[in-house]
Amino acid sequence: MNPLFLNNQVIVYLFSEAALLALTILLFAKIVKFLWFWDFRSYSNRQLKLEKEAYLAMTIATLLFTLKSVLLIFFVHTIDKLSLIIPGAMCAAGVISANSYGMDLLFIKLTVIFTLLLFLIANSYDLQAKTYPLFRFKSWVLIIASGLIFIEFFLDISYFTHIDTSTPVSCCSALFGNLEGANPLPFGLDITKLLLLFYMLYLGTIIALTLETKTITLLTLLLFGVIAYYGVVYFFGTYIYELPTHKCPFCMLQREYYYVGYLLWGSLFFGLFFGVIWVIMSQVGYNITKAKWASMLLLTLFVALCSLYVAIYYSKNGVLL
Amino acid sequence: MVVVEQLNRWYTIDKKRHQILKDISFHVKRGDFVLLRGVSGSGKTTLLSILAGLEKPSSGKVLIDGEPIAKLPDIHLSHFRAKKVGIIFQHFNLIDSLSLQDNVLVPLVALKIGLQEAKAMAERALKSANIAHKSEAYPTKLSGGEKQRGAIARAIVADPPLLLCDEPTANLDRANSLLFIDALHKLHQEGKTIIVATHDPIFDAIDFPHTIIDLKDGQIV
Repeated sequence: MNPLFLNNQVIVYLFSEAALLALTILLFAKIVKFLWFWDFRSYSNRQLKLEKEAYLAMTIATLLFTLKSVLLIFFVHTIDKLSLIIPGAMCAAGVISANSYGMDLLFIKLTVIFTLLLFLIANSYDLQAKTYPLFRFKSWVLIIASGLIFIEFFLDISYFTHIDTSTPVSCCSALFGNLEGANPLPFGLDITKLLLLFYMLYLGTIIALTLETKTITLLTLLLFGVIAYYGVVYFFGTYIYELPTHKCPFCMLQREYYYVGYLLWGSLFFGLFFGVIWVIMSQVGYNITKAKWASMLLLTLFVALCSLYVAIYYSKNGVLL
Repeated sequence: MVVVEQLNRWYTIDKKRHQILKDISFHVKRGDFVLLRGVSGSGKTTLLSILAGLEKPSSGKVLIDGEPIAKLPDIHLSHFRAKKVGIIFQHFNLIDSLSLQDNVLVPLVALKIGLQEAKAMAERALKSANIAHKSEAYPTKLSGGEKQRGAIARAIVADPPLLLCDEPTANLDRANSLLFIDALHKLHQEGKTIIVATHDPIFDAIDFPHTIIDLKDGQIV
């Protein structure tokens, strides 16, 4: 048996995820029933019962979102603790890369939170009307969220069962740095091109949001999300750590760096989230201008924060890293 | 004003279905005064609770002012009830720890009215129900008749077009019952639609136009 399964935090984490999976199966069954039988114009016993059950399902979904958010933080905390028993790992970034499931798992986890948040927003708008106009839309969102949660659980198990505690993992500077064998920038980019793309996509996103062009907004948001991740890891992060070889997305979440990573990644995640929400909700007839402005504000905060670290370093030292 | 079509209500206890209301259908026009009569257990209170949006039907349509109240999401239902329906209960249901004026203010919370305006509305309602002189008193210090007048004030404070009364004279003596009927008559003359569920024979003697719906074993007879 993999010794990781004897770790308290891993046990608590996996049991919690299993409990949430059971809740998701219950929710999934209810949502399928809603999609199959829902007919708001009917006054039949079945429809009136479905309307009552809808409240239960929406409450379960809200609970699911809350617990999934807490478990995401617990997951990061757990894998950070595992770095003590996995050779070569210095923080969560090393542990997450211990096998090929790690990054997929993290991505799925963020997507689950994203989808459940979309549900919560759609649900709040749906309940403001009297005829549940978004009922089918939000039900489909929950179907997608349920599917993602099933995949997430499979990845959870696969990830933890495939961590080999006897094989050293690459971490931080070894993984991302300039050492021999280090990963190069993706898509054949160099730092100049990366930064050019970073600022151009930021401006493009702001312009697209201002002009309310949905397809271009969605495209620029998604591209900016990818480029911003690499931008932080390969360039801006080194100014936070003040070390050119320290290219880690995780260490900035720790106390040594005043937890700035939470602000940085949080503003990027929610900036992208509100932008995508604005696009999706516009498609179903709700122009949520607050989401649009929140997206612009948070992305601007993210870019300003990234740039500020470079500016501060330059003003203090007179050189760039 | 009130449309009820093919209304059914049943409870399932130990896998056995207990039918409380069966295929109830009736229409009430705006300004009507309706007596819902029947012995205890005939389904009057359940029907009134469904009309008030306090309970959901098992099947069937209930429209109040065109709104399908059994299908309204909760946030709309509370607002709708506060604005459109006044309820007078058999046991008055006043909150003992609040003064009469504060009891009357309670339904206005859902309407998010400013305190000054709400107080003015409460004062008008208390005057209209002839109980303004007891506005600072607590329910425990009031007689049955005074409590009932307080309950009337609370029911009419938001000026709802529909008043529902559930056995309103069950806890009143004859004199207070007659005073209560008189108060209802006045509200009826002001244009309110009133539905009274009762098995009190004192209502047999009312001398203003009204409609009678007789219920027996959950069905209209």
